[in-house]
Amino acid sequence: MTAQILVVDDEPRYVRLMEANLLTEDYDVLRAYDGQKAVETVAENHPDLVLLDVMMPILDGITACERIREFSNVPIIMVTAKGEERDRIRGLDVGADDYVVKPFSATELLARVRAVLRRAESNGSASFQQPVFNHGNLKIDFAKAEVFRDEKMVYLSATEYRLLLQFAQNLGDILSSEDLLVNVWGEEYRNDKEILWVSISRLRHKLEDDPRNPQHIVTRSGLGYTMPKI
Amino acid sequence: MTENTIPSDLINLQLIETLDEIGEIIFRAKEIDSCIDQIMKSVRKIFIFDNVVLYLRQKDDQLEPKYARAIGRGRSSETDLAWGETIANDSLQKNEIIIRKEIDGDYTVNRMRLRYFIGLPLAIDDEKYGSLVFVRYGGPPYLSDQTQLCKYIARNLSHLLDRIKLHQKVNSLKHELQLKLMQDDFVATISHELRTPLGFIKGYATTLLREDTSWDGDTRREFLNIIDEETDRLRELIDNLLDSSRLQSGTLRMEFQHVRLEELLRVVCIRAQTFHEYQEIDLEIEKPGITVQIDPARIEQVIENLLSNARKYAPDSKVKITLSQEDNHAHIRVRDFGPGIDPDHLDHIFERFYRIPDQTKSTRGTGLGLFICKRIIQAHNGEIFAESIPGEGSIFHIKLSLDLSRNGDKKKTLVLMEEKI
Repeated sequence: MTAQILVVDDEPRYVRLMEANLLTEDYDVLRAYDGQKAVETVAENHPDLVLLDVMMPILDGITACERIREFSNVPIIMVTAKGEERDRIRGLDVGADDYVVKPFSATELLARVRAVLRRAESNGSASFQQPVFNHGNLKIDFAKAEVFRDEKMVYLSATEYRLLLQFAQNLGDILSSEDLLVNVWGEEYRNDKEILWVSISRLRHKLEDDPRNPQHIVTRSGLGYTMPKI
Repeated sequence: MTENTIPSDLINLQLIETLDEIGEIIFRAKEIDSCIDQIMKSVRKIFIFDNVVLYLRQKDDQLEPKYARAIGRGRSSETDLAWGETIANDSLQKNEIIIRKEIDGDYTVNRMRLRYFIGLPLAIDDEKYGSLVFVRYGGPPYLSDQTQLCKYIARNLSHLLDRIKLHQKVNSLKHELQLKLMQDDFVATISHELRTPLGFIKGYATTLLREDTSWDGDTRREFLNIIDEETDRLRELIDNLLDSSRLQSGTLRMEFQHVRLEELLRVVCIRAQTFHEYQEIDLEIEKPGITVQIDPARIEQVIENLLSNARKYAPDSKVKITLSQEDNHAHIRVRDFGPGIDPDHLDHIFERFYRIPDQTKSTRGTGLGLFICKRIIQAHNGEIFAESIPGEGSIFHIKLSLDLSRNGDKKKTLVLMEEKI
């Protein structure tokens, strides 16, 4: 089967360069010119690999990578103009599989693409790609970072959205207050339980039909919170 | 009346109103002068004095009067009046309120020879700002509640002085930060601008060098053209960087000679159209035969820069270049009919590193081009400026003196001195 590769760069000449070389190896090529389009293309087309530039308008590559990782484990190679170690590590930290530093040679690029595709194949990781998450009357569109209740869009703050993702990505697991605080707010908020209570209460008011009798975010007394499997 | 209520005769309504007024004046004040005048007008309703002086500490530690009023007795005596300079110094030095009685001769003949001073330090923690002095001639002495009122005024003035100082500091830090951000941004932009063409050259060259595949003639030509264009871009960028750094260090050299401007403009236009066929340029010579004393290579550079900007920022527009004569000036206008420049940015576009924010990637630049143009024109004792109507286009004006002696002698090399950023 021909692998489909999404090439993302705001410089058309880079897109053309990568596309021309990839086509000689018989890959199918998809193109995007900014981070937001990249996330949407991954959600719609489920490519086998993403070549992702870092410095881009609208949504930069690092953020785009984070967003893609919310719903997909597609292999990602960051293509960065900055050779500095810091940027490479940031890319790898947010879930990229490898990186190529500009300027790169055509053969190096192709070698990296082959290596990452081979690795993904041998891992046999049945790729999980779930751009839309449903839980009862609740729907999350990961690609657009939008939440719907009974098909009506609900406006969440950035923190509320991250908190909701914790539950959606760990469906059925009980999450402790400490874990939620550290993952969503950061290590220094570990003991700040009240801020979690306020946010959970706000989320329930936005998402639940009856906030006193929640169906999506349920309290497990003494243990934490969970989004139960339906 | 219950035991817990305070008898209302202890609350002096007029005093509270005055304190409230002073608080409001201090709260709204932006500078000291008008503010202290208002405070004194307000406080006179409940506190009697003849003279008041505000002294501020200078950099050399000396006190300088910043505000003085003679209100009561002896207004006509002017400089003979007592202004309490000694007590101001003492009060600030000891950082305490000083009340002093001074007798200067026989005060039964002239009440002004008997003076009651109160000196109040204007200080917050270790920061000493100055002193406030009130003078009364012939008494009465200051009572303790009046001293308390003076203390209240002095403390509020100290806070105002502190606030003004902090405000100045914030402004100066803001300015420093802005310069630093501009420079940081410049370094980031430059490294990105240098790496981008380099990345294309490397990428497309290694693509053509691949041994495991072959490219058809059209594709080869397409890739080679890209390499060629990106090499030019890199060269232009390096030239700009070098010019800019020469301008900074004051070593950009000018070779002046007599030049017929219409010839120069014709050459520039022909060259631009050879390299950029799609750019339509109208050249209109309203007054032929204008000769000026200039460095032709540098003036060509300026015109080329303006044409290149027009290609970037008004890509679908034609450009109209007009040469005319006004009084003692040659006047070149370079006009495009593109989207124009936002008035907010128009004043800044000639500044070093300045770039209009939110430009798309296709409009690459470093914020050096117009800065270099301006310096070159200034080195000719000329003028360059822009006007623009958003939606209708921009006009860049260049004015060069026709007075041949003004621009520099033949073959003389002018060295520019630049202020450091």
